[in-house]
Amino acid sequence: MSAATAVAGALQVAGVALAPLAAGVVQHLKGRLQGRRGPSPLQPYRDLRRLSRKSGVDVAGSGPVYRAAPAVVAAATLAALLVVPVAGHGPGWGLGHDAVTLVGLLALARFATALAAWDTGSGFALMGAARDLAFAVFAEGVLLLVVALAARQAGGSTDLLALADAGAGAWADPSHWCAALAFALVAIAETGRQPVDNPDTHLELTMVHEGPLLEYAGRDLALLTWAGWARLWLVLLLGVALFAPAAGSVLAGLAIAAGAVALLCAALALTETALAKMRILRVPLFLGGGAALCVAGLAGATL
Amino acid sequence: MTALLLAGVATLAVGMLAPSLRSTTGLALPAQAVGAALLAAGGVWVLAADAAVGAAFSSEIRPSLGLDALSGFFVVLVGACAAPALVAGRDALRDSPVRRPLAVLTGGFVLALAGLPAARDVTTFLGFWELMTLLPAAAILVARRERAVRDAVFVYLAVTHIGGAGVWVAMLLLAQHGALGGTLAPGGPAALVTVAAIAGFGTKAGLAPLHAWLPRAHPVAPAHLSALMSAVMLKVALYGLIRVLFEWTAPTAAAGYALLGLGALSAVGGALYALLQGELKRLLAFSSIENVGIVVLALGAALVLEGPWSAIAFGAALLHAANHAAFKALLFLGAGALSDAVGRTDLDRLGGLLRRMPWAAGALLAGCAAIASLPPLNGFASEWLALHALLEVAAGDATGQALAGAVSLAALGVTAGLALMAFAKVAGMALLGAPRSAEAATAQDAPAGTRAALAALAASCVGLAAATGPLLHALGGLHPAGGAPGPALAPALPGTGGLPPLGLLVVLALLTALLARLAAGRGRTAAAPAWACGQPGDPALAWTSAGFTKTLRLVLEPALRPQREVTTRTRGAVVTEIAHRAETPHHFDTLLYRPALRASLRAARTARRLQSGSLRLYLGYLLALVLVLLALVRLEVLA
Repeated sequence: MSAATAVAGALQVAGVALAPLAAGVVQHLKGRLQGRRGPSPLQPYRDLRRLSRKSGVDVAGSGPVYRAAPAVVAAATLAALLVVPVAGHGPGWGLGHDAVTLVGLLALARFATALAAWDTGSGFALMGAARDLAFAVFAEGVLLLVVALAARQAGGSTDLLALADAGAGAWADPSHWCAALAFALVAIAETGRQPVDNPDTHLELTMVHEGPLLEYAGRDLALLTWAGWARLWLVLLLGVALFAPAAGSVLAGLAIAAGAVALLCAALALTETALAKMRILRVPLFLGGGAALCVAGLAGATL
Repeated sequence: MTALLLAGVATLAVGMLAPSLRSTTGLALPAQAVGAALLAAGGVWVLAADAAVGAAFSSEIRPSLGLDALSGFFVVLVGACAAPALVAGRDALRDSPVRRPLAVLTGGFVLALAGLPAARDVTTFLGFWELMTLLPAAAILVARRERAVRDAVFVYLAVTHIGGAGVWVAMLLLAQHGALGGTLAPGGPAALVTVAAIAGFGTKAGLAPLHAWLPRAHPVAPAHLSALMSAVMLKVALYGLIRVLFEWTAPTAAAGYALLGLGALSAVGGALYALLQGELKRLLAFSSIENVGIVVLALGAALVLEGPWSAIAFGAALLHAANHAAFKALLFLGAGALSDAVGRTDLDRLGGLLRRMPWAAGALLAGCAAIASLPPLNGFASEWLALHALLEVAAGDATGQALAGAVSLAALGVTAGLALMAFAKVAGMALLGAPRSAEAATAQDAPAGTRAALAALAASCVGLAAATGPLLHALGGLHPAGGAPGPALAPALPGTGGLPPLGLLVVLALLTALLARLAAGRGRTAAAPAWACGQPGDPALAWTSAGFTKTLRLVLEPALRPQREVTTRTRGAVVTEIAHRAETPHHFDTLLYRPALRASLRAARTARRLQSGSLRLYLGYLLALVLVLLALVRLEVLA
């Protein structure tokens, strides 16, 4: 194993600890942009500490699936973190680096969340889970189209390492712009940010990703909340891997990655301040726009 | 090898004869299960040795049987699914008044299923083909006497015979041109054979839009027959399609694009209508259409692509066929176990069964995760491979190919999302939460034999996933055009980031165990009711299948056109009764079959006018015929 791979592997694991920071930074910036002081960027860590000291609470009538779900969700998200390379490198961890594997791991987390919602029988949890699964139907299709389009730049490879190498020089190609834009749309839906979902909502009827978390407490909730933050971190890293310029050395690569993640966090804070949440039934149309972009990009690339 | 296979056939035949004596009836299905297992073992041997036993293909009309590696694979599928299905069937039929005829018909069905891949000439092939269609119909009619069931069987026979005519056309043409065992040169006959084969085998495989019989016939059969029909019969029909498109005619990209289109339609349509069903077995039947669609998508990619990727796509198709056989047999047998325990299979009447029947429900839960193509199970592995085959199509340089690949790819992505939602619904409504009916609240777990069968199938879902690498190597190698699909272990395929099924299994298991320990650290307080804005929970407010799919139904309203009817009855100003009826019609029926049916009835009415009953008119017809024939001979059209 080369030094670069070792560093990247260490950073993938460090993502476990860094993921809450990205979410905290977005919240902090958002507060500033909205004229508030906003929570400290470290607030997610305080939340985790608070939750980790509390005991779990079972929902009456629920069973082993409800209990196991937080661990499965967090494990699938963690495994997905290990699949995404950092600064163009990664040790693989026996999981490989394939984009489709990543899609599968995220689906596993979604499935476990939905089953937990069914196990509680709670209307709000199921409402959120049903919406999440319905959006995922469209999001998965578009995500695969983005992968197909990005893979053209890497000689047809869906290896994230190859994609990270190839994504940098491709900006002269209009199809790459289509892929980047479509990826942005999917990323918003996948991470549950505005305008698809409002991560700050406390109104049960509007919840998508938060709904199934309502019935959890203590460390279970800590794991699920962490998984939500980790998914944001993961999608940011994926965006960086696919679309940020590649660097010669690992150090430069890390600097670029850090800068790009910070930039994306700021962009998220800005869009979340400027855009209101859209009607739930319009989300598929929003994602359909991504699909149209990809097909147009693909047609453009082959003509 | 041959002895093992013959022993399997003989044991099956003995099992079929057993019900002729009342005292040995109970042994019929177990004996057949042993026979099926022997057949599977023989098939594995043929497959592993890549050997051929018995006769070779011949275009002569000379009934003969034999196996090569591809046939061996399908015999393995038949045997490996039939053994657990027959074991579970024995439990389900124990007190049935019709168990003797059913046992005979079941055994015959298994033999027909195994016979078709072993057929080596056109008469044997078509004979087994018809038996494979008729025997399950007879079994359903013996098992159930309701009018609705008879109608379903009639539709099954009608559609499969109208579509199945394509099989006769294709096979007889091939035999006429001496192409069984050879390859038909490209040209007019080859094109006709291709179209007829896609229509004929596609109908029997449940490929949209000729799938109308499948969601009718599969749910009404006894569970072990449903399992055999969905898990095996559809695959055996695909076996015929594979032989014709890959071996007996020269593979063409045009056929590949046709398969991509039909596969995408079946996959998305099947998954969408599966999601909307509220009855478990009907849902599973629609999901079979979806999975056949996925297999056909991969076959289409194998025809469009060249070189090693063609072999990989071919291997992915066969692997998904095997994986689907494993989890669909599991799901249908599990549905049968639930049906026996609760008395019904409406999802809105099950619920909470994981607590009441941990064995059957636990196996079902694994099956749901596998069919939803989730890592680390087998459904994920083969769908991963199919997705990569389509990605490879989309990476082509020609615009047409790239767009066809992209559309199929998006269709498969959407299918995966729909299947995930459908099986989250199945697992959630049937197995989790609170019981939704009094019968579900007092259900008992399945008998030991059924439990063992379900556990074995659930284990096979994990085992097939772990063996993805070697299996892909072996199955990709069955591609008639040859070509190596890459290294045997942990498929590190060219142009992918690698699929490590074992790595996923180990990493996910370790991480889950670790995190579960972490979460358990602080203990748990007493259980509390679910949050309902401070109100007490009410079982009548439990979520239904329709509620869970509402978002998607609303989004897809223009395509699905759900119908809803609310009738409010008032007396004075007081509402006394509200009747609500909602359904999502199956648009393949309303938009395709009903107009076709109307048109053919109208044509029949018109044709009836020709049959006036007047002798003079018939003499006129004969005279006209003679004149036409004479004219044709004169013009030298007829030599």
